[in-house]
Amino acid sequence: MKTYVRYLLAGLVAVFVAGSSLAEDTLKQYDDIKGRTHHEDLYMEEQCDACHTSNEPNEFPPDNICLDCHDLDDLVIATAREGEDVWQNPHNNLHYGRDVPCMECHGEHTRREPMCADCHNFNYPKHEK
Amino acid sequence: MTQQNDHQAGRRKFLIGMGSAGLAAMTVPILTSAARGAQKIWDHEHEVVIIGSGFAGLAAAIEAKRQGAKDVVVFEKMPVFGGNSAVNGGLYAAPKTPLQKKEGVKDSPEQMISDQMISGRGVADQELLLHVAKHAREALQLTIDAGAEYLPYLQQLGGHSVPRTYQTTVACGAGIVQPLVKESRKLGVQLINRSKFENLIFDDSGRVVGVAILQGYYFGHDQPGKLINVRAKRGVIIATGGFAQNIGLRQAQDPTLTAEVGCTNPKGATGEALLEMFQQGAVPVHLAYIQSGPWASPDEGGFGYVSNYSIYNFPHSAAINCRTGQRFMNEIADRKTRADAELACRDAEGKPLPPILITSYKHAKKHPNCKKVLRYGVGWKFESLKAIAKKFNIPLKALEKQVKQYNDYVRTGKDEQFGKIMEKAKGKYLEAPFTVVRLWPKVHYCQGGVKVNVQAEVINATTWKPIPGLLAAGEVTGGIHGVSRLGSCSIPECMVMGMTAARTIMKG
Repeated sequence: MKTYVRYLLAGLVAVFVAGSSLAEDTLKQYDDIKGRTHHEDLYMEEQCDACHTSNEPNEFPPDNICLDCHDLDDLVIATAREGEDVWQNPHNNLHYGRDVPCMECHGEHTRREPMCADCHNFNYPKHEK
Repeated sequence: MTQQNDHQAGRRKFLIGMGSAGLAAMTVPILTSAARGAQKIWDHEHEVVIIGSGFAGLAAAIEAKRQGAKDVVVFEKMPVFGGNSAVNGGLYAAPKTPLQKKEGVKDSPEQMISDQMISGRGVADQELLLHVAKHAREALQLTIDAGAEYLPYLQQLGGHSVPRTYQTTVACGAGIVQPLVKESRKLGVQLINRSKFENLIFDDSGRVVGVAILQGYYFGHDQPGKLINVRAKRGVIIATGGFAQNIGLRQAQDPTLTAEVGCTNPKGATGEALLEMFQQGAVPVHLAYIQSGPWASPDEGGFGYVSNYSIYNFPHSAAINCRTGQRFMNEIADRKTRADAELACRDAEGKPLPPILITSYKHAKKHPNCKKVLRYGVGWKFESLKAIAKKFNIPLKALEKQVKQYNDYVRTGKDEQFGKIMEKAKGKYLEAPFTVVRLWPKVHYCQGGVKVNVQAEVINATTWKPIPGLLAAGEVTGGIHGVSRLGSCSIPECMVMGMTAARTIMKG
């Protein structure tokens, strides 16, 4: 049932954004840096140190800082796959379990392909490039 | 990449100059205990320091703990643990195992290494091979105890005289690495990612007493990290794997391995620790012997799905040159023989024309990867030889004749073309429907590396004695396998030599 609701919501979003070709793109320019629209508040309030160790960052934030807000257990459930695809869950995968640092597949300021794409052509339709 | 190298050179000069005031300004020392005579300022200290988190590094970490080490750290350059060990076939050869007993296979360490010596073409290291073969079953048990699960049957890989190869149920080395990672953590081993080994640190007596590490190193990004000095009270175990992804280095050894040749390894397999050991006097062995996997596919990246599919299916399949419609090799010859034969498959203009592997679908589907291969479009199912010939532009008559001939060999048990052992093909005729994959070798494994003895100590080229405090295990070491390593012999080597290194370091 939950999955059904999620698909329904995804479908509604897709219909909603159908008018604009860039609408599914969550990477947007904020002043002098690109960022994800779902983190817009952070850019509006210039809170670089929400993730980085300083507010004038010159290095990547610590691995897994994302998990201060995002729950890994929830992510594992949200991206779960079944049967023979069970190990294609990016948040709990065959090669590295739950140990892949978020930024290896997700770019906050840049586009990033899922790490699996180095060797496999799995389809992750909900992955935001 | 150039920038990283410049950076590395700069750091090294700095360290050799040993301006301790500058170093203190650069790092925040938490320990001031200096190594004998060297005036080092240590940022951290550990009992056992291991570089690399593949099979060898993790086996060393677990064994060091079991031998009583209180404080073991594993530094990994990449963001994820496991290196090349996490992305291979998970194939493990060992003699005198429970599965051999169950299947009634007679085998011994001596028989196993005699197969390996043949594939090594006379220059393999018999003493090291025997050491590994004798302990392979024990190390296999370590993986099982940690939680690794294996398929309930043995496979007979190319060049092996009997079936002696286990494979993880997930058909991947990760089926061993993940349990080892969990076991390491359970035992209290510290696993630290994004930490690039820069150089060894010696005391005045020439003993390795620590390592310089770039902590917070982001591979492939412009963030080299902060240099720290880590004291290793008992010693350092280097388990950093091969250099198959270092195109300059591999091409310097073997000019045919250009950037156009694919590679099964993750991008981190670039060999910096290997070069550092050479710089410090280690003996280079067999660097030019770089193995390409004859089971790889040009239709996917890295090791992918086809590699394991082909490894499983080679014994009861026919490999066909698309230009002639005929077989061109013994499908279970050793890796080098097959890779060379495949590379010789060319079109009229001399361009690569990847050969195909034809298997009866009913046999192919017994391996879990068959489904994946078909689903992800890196292999195809056909109802007839005619359909195959059409798709790959193969002369049909020649192909039909070849398949008929091959089926005769299945019936008689004797391959008159290439002398393939037909034991595992018994009763397995090539019959429609068929599955087909394309084959083209990918750089897979570096037989060469630093010379070690059976205690896993790194040998110095000038004194011909072990470099005190320095051990190495796994693909970073060289000479064990000679010219060509037999499939499924690396994992046991990594596991056994990793355990051996830990035992040596805990004794010393």
